[in-house]
Amino acid sequence: MTMSGFRERPSRVTIAALATGVLALAVAPWVLNEFLLSLALTCLMYAGLAVSWAMFSGATNYLSLATAAFFGIGAYVTALGYESLTYPVSVFLGGLAASAFAAIVGVAILHLRGAYFAVLTFGLGELVRHAITFVEKKYSGTVGRVLTETPEAATVYLTVLVVALAAVAVCVAVRSSRFGLALAGIGADEQRAQTLGVNTRLVKIGGFALSAFFAGALGAAMAVRWTYIDPPAVFNPFIGFQTVLIAMVGGAQTVAGPLVASIVFSLLTELLRLQFPYLFLIILGTLLILLVLYLPGGIASLWTRKRAGKRDG
Amino acid sequence: MSAALSIRGLSAGYGPIAVLQGIDIEAAAGRLTVIVGPNGAGKTTLLKAVSGLIPREGEVLLDGARLSGSPASIVRRGLGHVPEGRQLFAQMSVLETLQLGAWLLPRGERSARLDEVLAAFPKLAERRNQLAGTMSGGEQQMLAVGRALMNRPRMMMLDEPSLGLAPKMIEELLKIVLRIRDSGTTVLLVEQNVAKALAIAEFAYVVERGRVVLGGSAKEVLASEEVRTAYLGTV
Repeated sequence: MTMSGFRERPSRVTIAALATGVLALAVAPWVLNEFLLSLALTCLMYAGLAVSWAMFSGATNYLSLATAAFFGIGAYVTALGYESLTYPVSVFLGGLAASAFAAIVGVAILHLRGAYFAVLTFGLGELVRHAITFVEKKYSGTVGRVLTETPEAATVYLTVLVVALAAVAVCVAVRSSRFGLALAGIGADEQRAQTLGVNTRLVKIGGFALSAFFAGALGAAMAVRWTYIDPPAVFNPFIGFQTVLIAMVGGAQTVAGPLVASIVFSLLTELLRLQFPYLFLIILGTLLILLVLYLPGGIASLWTRKRAGKRDG
Repeated sequence: MSAALSIRGLSAGYGPIAVLQGIDIEAAAGRLTVIVGPNGAGKTTLLKAVSGLIPREGEVLLDGARLSGSPASIVRRGLGHVPEGRQLFAQMSVLETLQLGAWLLPRGERSARLDEVLAAFPKLAERRNQLAGTMSGGEQQMLAVGRALMNRPRMMMLDEPSLGLAPKMIEELLKIVLRIRDSGTTVLLVEQNVAKALAIAEFAYVVERGRVVLGGSAKEVLASEEVRTAYLGTV
């Protein structure tokens, strides 16, 4: 495992390329057809989820499968506040609710590591899903909510774009900060970080909650895409697995890796699904196995390998 | 600025294995105290127990106040620890390592402290953007010492800093240890290089099989027959 690629400072060329990319993404609703826009939306959603996941889990090596829980909590905030809150407010509150949930459970579970932490975070999604199902059955007599009037596709797309961009910006800022160094230190050796005076517990809770904010906000933003919201749809473990997969295939130690992988993965999935409807999962699975075997550091290792040793400051 | 460390009746170990059995050691404020002893005597375990890295029994006092709690809270009280084998983050640059080392400093003091440490270690200043894992053993040791100094500790413990280094580098490193002491920081040095360590220290302890077998001024310890035969090979 390598940390190179952490805290990389973008060059002017990179900044110009990024600005052009953002501009191109921003005009997409007026240029792309409905199918392509929907594909772009999926790319952006996974980009935001994978980058924010990697910000905490990639740095600290705490493999979190809680993305589905955070995403679902955000989506339910939109569903519950559908009649009283405006769409941007729902998205923000969805992020805050997921963040608060992450901070509370983080206090209880962030002392665990490895498989225990992964299994427990996976259980969180199931726990919240069943809790909401129970509460809805008991108090409203029905499970699920119908969203009759939803924002236009362009509004949803631009909102998800803003959240995904914010996730990338925050992730870049965190990696070049003391907080990011502390997260990386925890990932390399938590006890060693403690001997420098780092309150690793607080840093972990902060990182976990910050990462959850974006998953929650993306859940809240994407909720309006489904006209009917119920727990199995929004607390879908597949979203959590897919996020981890994308981040790892991209290179969870970097910002650019998960970003590139989310695009490659979403496009590849769609292409294979359309071209080989019966074989696509077999091909996708084989490609993933090959990637893990030959690029264990993820797609990002293609460009970070060259920079081993010295780095410009 | 300097602080005195008192270790009283300290016992510690790993699970059922007891390594230290009732250690008593005093490190006088602003002085260099050295601990020598054979491999497996418990010297590293002693420093780990003081730092709160392993559970311990007994009392550890820094300037008369009990030193307990998590490793982070012990560091916050002013105790710096340069562990055996450097324990650097291999993928962090020199600058990043020092920045993380300054975790406890207020924002306004960090950059001035970084300049001070870089001025004290010109080699680190030259290699500020190099990854810690790609540096030579001596440079890594200097980085480990520099990192511990970033938090402005009142008391510093160094665990075998000369291990695996060339003789010239050992000389340089011991000069750095003296400079740290001269700046007013209390130093507790664990060292296998007995002759060199005793020559520069004010006080010394010999630890064998988890117990202090000899203690006093470095001159007395150096003069003792036991140390001369067992560690220096002379009679």
